[in-house]
Amino acid sequence: MGLLELLTPALLTSLAVIGGGAFFLLNSAALAVYAERRVAAFIQNRVGPNRVGPMGLLQPIADVLKLILKEDVVPAQGNKVVHAIAPMIPVITALMTVAVIPFGDGLVGANLNVGVLYLLAITSLGVYGVTLAGWASNSKYALLGGLRAAAQMLSYELPMGMAVASVVLLAGSLSVVEVVNAQRDLWFVFVNPIGFLIFFIAALAEANRTPFDLVEAEQELVGGYHTEYSSMKFGMFFLAEYMHVTIGSMLITTFFFGGYHLPFSSHWLPDIGNWKILLDITVFLGKTCFFAFSYIWIRWTIPRFKYDQLMRLGWSRLLPLSIVNFMVIAIVLWMMR
Amino acid sequence: MFELYFPIAVLAVVAVVLALVLMVLSGILGPKRPDKVKLMPYESGMDPYGQARDRYSVSFYLVAVEFIVFDLEVVFLYPWAVRFLDLDAGAFWAMMVFITVLLLGLVYTLKKGTLDWDSSTAAHNRA
Amino acid sequence: MDLLHDLSYFWPAAITSIGGLAAMMAAAFKTDMRWVNAVAVFTALSATVVAASDLVAGHSGLLFSGMVAHGGTAAFGTFVVSLGTLFTLVLSRSYLEKIGHHYAEVYALILFATTGMIVLASATDLVALFVGLETMSVCLYVLAGLVRERKTGIEAALKYFLLGAFSTGFLLYGIALLYGATMSTSLDVIAATTDKGGLYWAGVGLLLVGFLFKVSAVPFHMWTPDVYQGAPTTITGYMATAAKTSAFVAFILVLGRGLQGSVEQWAPVLEIVALLTMIVGNLIALVQHDVKRMLAYSSIAHAGYALVGLTAGTLSGYDGVLFYLFAYTLMNIGAFAVLAYYETADGQERSTLEQFAGLGWQQPALGVALSIFLFSLAGMPPFAGFAGKYQVFAAAIEQGYITLALVGVLTSAAAAFYYIRVMVYLYFKSPEQPVSLPAVDRLYGWTILLLAGLTILFGVMPSLIVNLF
Repeated sequence: MGLLELLTPALLTSLAVIGGGAFFLLNSAALAVYAERRVAAFIQNRVGPNRVGPMGLLQPIADVLKLILKEDVVPAQGNKVVHAIAPMIPVITALMTVAVIPFGDGLVGANLNVGVLYLLAITSLGVYGVTLAGWASNSKYALLGGLRAAAQMLSYELPMGMAVASVVLLAGSLSVVEVVNAQRDLWFVFVNPIGFLIFFIAALAEANRTPFDLVEAEQELVGGYHTEYSSMKFGMFFLAEYMHVTIGSMLITTFFFGGYHLPFSSHWLPDIGNWKILLDITVFLGKTCFFAFSYIWIRWTIPRFKYDQLMRLGWSRLLPLSIVNFMVIAIVLWMMR
Repeated sequence: MFELYFPIAVLAVVAVVLALVLMVLSGILGPKRPDKVKLMPYESGMDPYGQARDRYSVSFYLVAVEFIVFDLEVVFLYPWAVRFLDLDAGAFWAMMVFITVLLLGLVYTLKKGTLDWDSSTAAHNRA
Repeated sequence: MDLLHDLSYFWPAAITSIGGLAAMMAAAFKTDMRWVNAVAVFTALSATVVAASDLVAGHSGLLFSGMVAHGGTAAFGTFVVSLGTLFTLVLSRSYLEKIGHHYAEVYALILFATTGMIVLASATDLVALFVGLETMSVCLYVLAGLVRERKTGIEAALKYFLLGAFSTGFLLYGIALLYGATMSTSLDVIAATTDKGGLYWAGVGLLLVGFLFKVSAVPFHMWTPDVYQGAPTTITGYMATAAKTSAFVAFILVLGRGLQGSVEQWAPVLEIVALLTMIVGNLIALVQHDVKRMLAYSSIAHAGYALVGLTAGTLSGYDGVLFYLFAYTLMNIGAFAVLAYYETADGQERSTLEQFAGLGWQQPALGVALSIFLFSLAGMPPFAGFAGKYQVFAAAIEQGYITLALVGVLTSAAAAFYYIRVMVYLYFKSPEQPVSLPAVDRLYGWTILLLAGLTILFGVMPSLIVNLF
């Protein structure tokens, strides 16, 4: 069987969706950088970048070019190979997640029957990047930052996993497409608001965003795990952080806000034929943008936690709460069976 | 199977290549002017003091151990959560007991201050 | 599968696990230790009562989709384990208070270990067996290192953990190979298999090695003396009796239920191991000066005697082993309890023979009780130890293992020397400095006397227990 015969229309569609998704994700990261600076400026009553291109829109491109042209410094006695691999890991894992996220009806890269597990597995790999970066740098700040990051991401992965498990309870499937379709009538945020809150907080922590950015708390740890990174290697950590913002928003949209469905859409949305695809994508991206905006909004509004507060919140508040939430939902569903 | 996982494989290859390209690009285009001070680990402008890879708090290990326990719990929950409405009462209550036992374990570790990062209260609780 | 129905035949394990959880919560919320002890004792007591009533009721069958059995051997194992736990818990309180390690966690660990032992002693599936074994072992590793300020405590915990993990590896690999050979982990399916290739025999071999490690048979006994010596004394008694009982009951279930068809192949192996264990255990015990360590070697020797009954590979052999375990549990917990008293009574930490000089006259009742336990361990009539030995040797002779029985009797005679030497020191040597031991805690003393009484009772009338099989 030749390779061409394998390329069925379905497969080509998947590839196209994945390509489009990855392209969107990369661009969204650039846009998010720009948006972050503009929104920050707006919140702080400043102007923000407005010189490069119309309204400063080309600023991210200038940033990337600058980073690429800078000198790549690897600290002496650092582990060169690991030092190089570490920044690639978060970028790769972030890109890999778009494969199973449905952007619209039928618009999904791969409708895996274990899509939810795939998402959790891939996103949890990101912790290796920061830990290895901290270890390979041969610097105290980097090591502590990396360790903090590892402990923090592990701690918040648990409530996140429990919150997603409660979504799986409601959807009755591990397929992301099924999860979205189960919300045609009712978004899960209305049935499972606690799960949403937990997931949202945990997603902030997983992306190491304020108020959980202790990993790179400047006042204590200089740059945290990327203290010893420069040039595009640093740029890749930066890129990954903003890709995680987008992905976190996409996941919140998918798991709790009905993905590409408008609220209660099965009740009132008329059949609009092929325009539906366009509507789906618009709705999905709209919701994603809103949550990406709230990431930025939170960053410039809320101060940073102390590390013991962070761990206490994760272990003694969110985790028990998420477990109890899971049990309550399971029992209610069981009673209503 | 192939139709499902081939796109993911393609995406993985693309992601790796993209990361490599970015990495190599800055390696080629950037200047190379290393010197001894530049290659020193950053320590607020001072000469580095002592070992970088020093001993660190045992709490990090405790977090890792706890994580394994509860992550495994979550892993057990997923297949059950998908099918639990089709299973009998035994399976339902068995899982409830399982979760409760682990919840009690969590209460125990929290009360004991295993995950308390504020060292003054932690020492008090562990005693 | 009806969970509640199955659970109703498996109450002892459920009770002990709930009790363990309660003790754990008590530790978290810093409850008064008197309550913790009372609740733990009550838990063990109810488990024992339920186990005894199950034993007397005489029903039997499989539970949890064939994972565990109830009734018969399993019920007896459950009963002996619960009984051992009950006595350990009653005795532990004053001892642990005196050595300053009286934590609620100890009770939680003991009860969880008991849960594991009950599962282990009832397992009819290798997976359940493994789960039970690990639940038990992990708790015991921690308990062995309870006195962590001392090097001996750390040594005990570390040695037990490393070698225990190592032996578990053997066991698990054996289970994997058996699964590969028979496509099942159920003992009944394994018993029905007719195609016995290399994989099967390799699996059986590794399984045997794993079990022999756990029951501390020679040449896999090296961990025993150090662990038994380093662990807190009442816990040592617990490990030597309840843990060993459950491992032996599981061994009986595996051999008698799963591998009975291959008895001609494994019996010679066990015969050699039993011979070695009896000889080595007793010979090394002869030269020990530390009484606790001496009892550790004696427990190796006793594993050898129990293996004699297993080697016979017949029902009467297995029954003999079960009775032996029961008798051993009574007398050994009693012996360790008296040692624990001597160790802590007046802060002198006595453990060597010389330090025991003249102690028999101090608290006469305890001295007499220790003598009874030691006579019974030596296998003298009319004590329970004699009845146990008699049954396993008789079963071995029935199957023509004359050498085994002969060596057993000869080593018992040699063993009498080191048991009686303790009594010589207790009664016929005078201490270098005059000692006066304070009176024993009342409950503690009566429990020891009860154990001594039971040792005599079942030595005179072994039929009380034997008829229950």
